[in-house]
Amino acid sequence: MMLIKLAWRNLWRNRKRSIITLTSIAIAVLLAVSMRSMQLGMYDNMIKNVVGSYVGYIQIHGRGYWEEQTLDNALQITPQLRDKVQSIPGVKHLIERIGTFSLGSRGDETKGVMVSGIRMEDERQMVDWDARLLKGELLPPGSEDILLAKGVARFFRADVGDTIVLIGQGYHGMSAAGKFRVGGIVDMKNPKINSVSVFLSLPVAQDYLSAKNVVTHLVIDKAENADEKQMLNRLTTALDTSKYEVMGWREMLPELEQTILADSVGGLLMVFILYMIITFGIFGTVLMMTQERIFELGIMMAIGMKRLKLILTLIYETIILTILGLLIGIALVLPIMYYYHVHPLQLGLDQAEVMEKFGFEATVPFLFNLQLPLTHALIIFIISLVIALYPVIRIWRLNPLEAMRSK
Amino acid sequence: MAVITTKEITKIYRQGDIEVHALNGVSIQFEKGEFTAIVGPSGSGKTTLLNAIGGLDTPTSGSVVIDGQDITRLNSNELIDFRLNNIGFVFQAYNLIPVLTAEENVSFIMLLQGVPASKRKQRACRLLEEVGLSEQLSRRPAQLSGGQQQRVAVARALASKPKFVLADEPTANLDSKSTGNLLDIMAKLSQEEGMTFIFSTHDQRVIDRAKRIITLEDGKIISDVTV
Ligand SMILES: Nc1ncnc2c1ncn2[C@@H]1O[C@H](COP(=O)(O)OP(=O)(O)O)[C@@H](O)[C@H]1O
Ligand SMILES: [Mg+2]
Repeated sequence: MMLIKLAWRNLWRNRKRSIITLTSIAIAVLLAVSMRSMQLGMYDNMIKNVVGSYVGYIQIHGRGYWEEQTLDNALQITPQLRDKVQSIPGVKHLIERIGTFSLGSRGDETKGVMVSGIRMEDERQMVDWDARLLKGELLPPGSEDILLAKGVARFFRADVGDTIVLIGQGYHGMSAAGKFRVGGIVDMKNPKINSVSVFLSLPVAQDYLSAKNVVTHLVIDKAENADEKQMLNRLTTALDTSKYEVMGWREMLPELEQTILADSVGGLLMVFILYMIITFGIFGTVLMMTQERIFELGIMMAIGMKRLKLILTLIYETIILTILGLLIGIALVLPIMYYYHVHPLQLGLDQAEVMEKFGFEATVPFLFNLQLPLTHALIIFIISLVIALYPVIRIWRLNPLEAMRSK
Repeated sequence: MAVITTKEITKIYRQGDIEVHALNGVSIQFEKGEFTAIVGPSGSGKTTLLNAIGGLDTPTSGSVVIDGQDITRLNSNELIDFRLNNIGFVFQAYNLIPVLTAEENVSFIMLLQGVPASKRKQRACRLLEEVGLSEQLSRRPAQLSGGQQQRVAVARALASKPKFVLADEPTANLDSKSTGNLLDIMAKLSQEEGMTFIFSTHDQRVIDRAKRIITLEDGKIISDVTV
């Protein structure tokens, strides 16, 4: 207790230096954590946009489907399979889709289209389809209509109520043909998808493709905090992997993960540089705090203060200084994180346009949790412990007579 | 019985090729309650002798026996503890811990010894009163004059109830008034508490106050007079 008091008073001997040091620690935390909070928040948002709205965090296909995306690699859906998947903790929704290419035509115009058979009420759990609807209706239950993405509609100059003919290959080499009334037009917020996608209700599509109870994708929407890796493992163990393949979004969208990783590395590098700077800052202070007191430390040892107690005093000084800086830094950064979590940062116009083109929302909600600031605080704390080795070594080797000769 | 007995202590400093014989076979005894000055010109070995007796330095040869224990055999960490419990120190200057008040400086050494808080406070106040600083209890060293600081150092040296007090040129940085004052206090404490004081000096006024005067020259005792 006395040692802590001693350490505390020693810290304020050079008030200016201590304040500069702890301010620099606080600023480092502030900068590092708010930057990471923005980055991680942006990545989460990107993932949520791309993965959460369509691809899903996890998909199950028939074995080999991802490599060769044909109906013949589709899987037969059974109640047992549904039950098995749904019994895995973290599975929020199980969404069934069938997808294949067909030739679409209207009048003289013909074009390859991606036909997706979906259950609209399930899809709506993942993303707000109402926001995508430009015209007509979103395949209400029992509907036998077709929904066109806006690029396809433009190509065919088709409007609600017009007819589109689809011709293609069905399941197991059956030929597929159907005539569908345009029920609505949607904007998929992605030019590539907009130019090829058409949607049918799942049973209608299965009927068109002669593929009763067949789906190409089982998309799993996971609960907010469920651990994706764990779910992947459990699913792989639960399912017969000679018949099914279980894939996480990282495997399905490697470019997304790489983009995030590349960006993240840049941020981490900045954090690293920042921490190097404050490491030297703290070290400089600790060095001076030790060096300028060598005589005094010699006196204390001469009158009978054990090395261990002297060492503890100097360690306390470093720790108190660091913790004060960290507390101030965390106290400053939490409100910032929270504010931008609730009021996401709006991107500049240029960036916003790019983002929206790719179907991302042009906002960056910051990540808000305690783990992020605490992790960074822990790193700086550990750095300070390493720095505190300096006075430890210095005192361990200190000889009181030599120390007292230093004045 | 003698409190301190040194037998043939020598101390050789090596500086490159040159050997400096700071002590050259010093054998001497100190009895309880002595008030002794070690005198001699600068470089004669006074500090070296006091450091050897005080366990701050280990002689090159010879023994220093304190209350039957040869302290030249202790390692540096054992010596720290030995000093804490057996020896009071007053150095030439800057004796005190700058961030502690006068009272805390005196208490501090008792705290290191594990004396309970209430006793510490009581004893610190009493000792500071004895050295005439009852008004300055809560001042920090920077707020005290050089003479006052040395008096706090004397109070601290006594606080640990040592077997003897060593003071290496305690008045070297003081004016004559403060010097006289400090000597009065040391002499009084020596008498009242039966405390052994051994101090080095080359100040004639200080020498005049001593009961025993040991003169060193070139690391040897050339005279030892009891007044
Ligand atoms: N650490 C040291 N290294 C080398 N020589 C030393 C050291 N300390 C003292 N001496 C030498 O030992 C001799 C005695 O010194 P000291 O005991 O300090 O004398 P005094 O205190 O009487 O002035 C001197 O010649 C001094 O130069
Ligand atoms: Mg000397």
